[in-house]
Amino acid sequence: MTIVAADNGSVDRGGLPDSVITVSELTRRFGGTTALDSVSLSLPRGAVYGLVGANGAGKTTLIKHILGLLRAESGSVRIFGLDPVADPVGVLSRIGYLSEENDVPGWMRVGELIRYSRAFYPAWSDAYAEELRQAFALDPSAKIKNLSKGQKARAGLLIALAHRPELLVLDEPSSGLDPIVRRDILGAIIRTIADEGRTVLFSSHLLEEVEQVADHVTMISQGKIALSAPLAVIKESHRYLTVRFAESGSQPPAVAGVLRWEGAGEEWMAVCRGGSDELRAAVAGWGARIVAERVASLDEIFVAHVGETAVSGTER
Amino acid sequence: MGSPALAIAWEFRQRHRWGLIALAGYLFALATIRLVIITPGQAVNLDAPAHFAVVVVVPLTTTFMYFLAVFSFGLAGDVAARQSMYPARMFALPVPTTALVGWPMLYGTAAMASLWLVSRPLILWPSGFDIPVIWPALLAAALLAWAQALTWMPYGLPGLRVIVATLWLAAIDAVVLLAIHYKIREAVMVAFLAPQIPLAYLAACFAVARARRGDVPDWRGLFTRGGQIADIVPRRRNRFPSTSGAQMWFEWRRHGRSLPALVAMVLPFELAMLFLARRDTPALVLYTLLGVLLTPPFMAAFAAATVRKSNPHARDSYGLTPFIATRPSTSASLIAATLKATVLSTLAAWLLVLVAIPLALTLSGTWPVVTKRTSQMVEVVGTLRATVIMLLVLSGLVASTWKQLVKSLYIGLSGREWVVKSSVFLTLSFLSMIGPAAQLLIEHRSARVALWNAVPWIPAVLVCAKMSAAAWVATRLYRSRVLSDRTLITGAACWLAAVLALYGLLVWLFSTPNLPHYFLALVAILAIPLARLSAAPLALEWNRHR
Repeated sequence: MTIVAADNGSVDRGGLPDSVITVSELTRRFGGTTALDSVSLSLPRGAVYGLVGANGAGKTTLIKHILGLLRAESGSVRIFGLDPVADPVGVLSRIGYLSEENDVPGWMRVGELIRYSRAFYPAWSDAYAEELRQAFALDPSAKIKNLSKGQKARAGLLIALAHRPELLVLDEPSSGLDPIVRRDILGAIIRTIADEGRTVLFSSHLLEEVEQVADHVTMISQGKIALSAPLAVIKESHRYLTVRFAESGSQPPAVAGVLRWEGAGEEWMAVCRGGSDELRAAVAGWGARIVAERVASLDEIFVAHVGETAVSGTER
Repeated sequence: MGSPALAIAWEFRQRHRWGLIALAGYLFALATIRLVIITPGQAVNLDAPAHFAVVVVVPLTTTFMYFLAVFSFGLAGDVAARQSMYPARMFALPVPTTALVGWPMLYGTAAMASLWLVSRPLILWPSGFDIPVIWPALLAAALLAWAQALTWMPYGLPGLRVIVATLWLAAIDAVVLLAIHYKIREAVMVAFLAPQIPLAYLAACFAVARARRGDVPDWRGLFTRGGQIADIVPRRRNRFPSTSGAQMWFEWRRHGRSLPALVAMVLPFELAMLFLARRDTPALVLYTLLGVLLTPPFMAAFAAATVRKSNPHARDSYGLTPFIATRPSTSASLIAATLKATVLSTLAAWLLVLVAIPLALTLSGTWPVVTKRTSQMVEVVGTLRATVIMLLVLSGLVASTWKQLVKSLYIGLSGREWVVKSSVFLTLSFLSMIGPAAQLLIEHRSARVALWNAVPWIPAVLVCAKMSAAAWVATRLYRSRVLSDRTLITGAACWLAAVLALYGLLVWLFSTPNLPHYFLALVAILAIPLARLSAAPLALEWNRHR
């Protein structure tokens, strides 16, 4: 499966490769489990990419390949045109990464963490680091292990951001952050970075969060990319319909474009892909009518594409 | 599963079924030999200690170690951690602490006792050997019960569990060995060993109850005052001059202080012996000093457990944390920082020793004993040679301390649990061979002669193995580009220079026709670390990019 993310007008930037991340036919197995199955992905520079999927879908495995923490068994991974395994310094010095595990050493003090981290990044900005530290209300003398979960995540975010990375990779960044902090801080940072022409890749299974900040969404399910497109395109192409049938039934009919049915009796809800007119005509063909219609949420679209409990339509 | 007792038993059986099947296979083989192959009255020539060791001692000792690890849950946790090794998930089970302790201890002690009671009649014992029945079973059960209690106990310092368990189990063993030596009656042995199991049970109940309520003592504060003072030094606030400087600071803070701290803990107790010894017991003074000088390399073997672990702050993880793995540094730089930190750690530990010894000698008034022995040595070998010998011994001890810290770095840095556990298993198996081998040498002149004749070949074979391993590692390093060509050539040149220097020194010191020069060259090659040290960057690379 090859998905090329929409290039948001990316052009040649002084010899830099347009694609920040290029993954080709990447397959990874852990014993008998296929974590990634022929995944191909190309993410151009300058946008916010949301990588969504259920737990165990392969998001973290893909991110670990991008960081060079996993070696490609088959296929290839290139970041800024470089192999992250062969050239970790060249790749990692341009990436800011916030781990899902939030594994900043607990024995360090916040000030020590900043002092230690800045030695690795030539582009580290002391002023920006200080600005972030104050914004996140982090005491430089506080030990990391004594911080709350949210504060630890902020400390991790600080060192991921303070060198103004070309690519910011956030693996489940919302874990540990309360809703207010999540919305205000994370959204602002992701937007800021994207506005500066930098790239953000973040994984999450909190789809409302993704919907708020992502320009482009890639859905991953059981190691395969189920859907990858600009968020606006995804939202435009999916509808949530409430359909009323003349007779009640235990199974909805198979209607072209309907990804998932939910309901019982005469009234059924459907997540559909395609134009409204075609869907309306298809539903009318079954003696039913659409009583309500709205834009499907990303959550509903995701469940329709990768959910295991979707009711498939049958002949009535 | 109708009860917690059955559930706990099922877990042991399910997790360790392959090991138990292997044990059953061994016992079946013994039974087959004993009952089917050997006809009654047939003479069995198993008197040679080597044969007996291979057939009986090694499998039984290995099984004993395996049972210790299984029933104390030692295979799933970090033996150097402060926290109890009792699985925390079981603390939430709705059963009393006495049951959490009692069932595993009952299964463990029963398994140990059964192992002896089943294998004793099946083993082909050397002739003329009076084999006791009860007390070996009790000894095995008592050792396991105490191993469980000490393993499940939370400790105030990392690594303390290893020291306490080793000393305590060795003490019980020593009492039993003395009893055997003095041919104590079985009834006395049973009277000594039987109460050990309830005592261990009480200790284990205390340990698990404490761990269950999250009560882990923390004595690390005793050693952080120095670090806090160091933190206020202005230069520590400055920018690190380089990434390697930052990484070295990280490695030092992470595990560099373990060895000096361990040495500092033990030194006062050792040096206190000087105050007991005084001048009238020079042997005790010299033995005490010898013990003190051997302390850093001995403690380094324990401190190495934290150095070699790629993620010392995670209890169950052998892998590298993403925080370290995503440092924009090469694996070679990360290893270089670790090695530099171990050098600092070694020097700090030896600084403590070299300051503490003169201080203790002065305060205890035992300087004259040392001065007298030194003068005698100077009279025998001359001032220059005596000075060189002492410097060489000191350098050797310092180098040995560092070598202890880094020699198994490649195992821990591989990040693979199976590599770490296999190496532990092989080491324990090797150690279990030392006793029978020593006995063989002591009791049989022919064995000593054979060993003496093989002396030139043993180091030669070891050198071949070392150089083959080094060639393989160098090839992998070259192909994987983990180290640059320049680093590889410089490293090889430094190693060669160190070997030549040591060889020259050995030739100068031991210029006797009885000791051929090629033998000294082999010793020099074996003494300078090469293959295992060079494998560390490869291991880290293997761990970092899985």
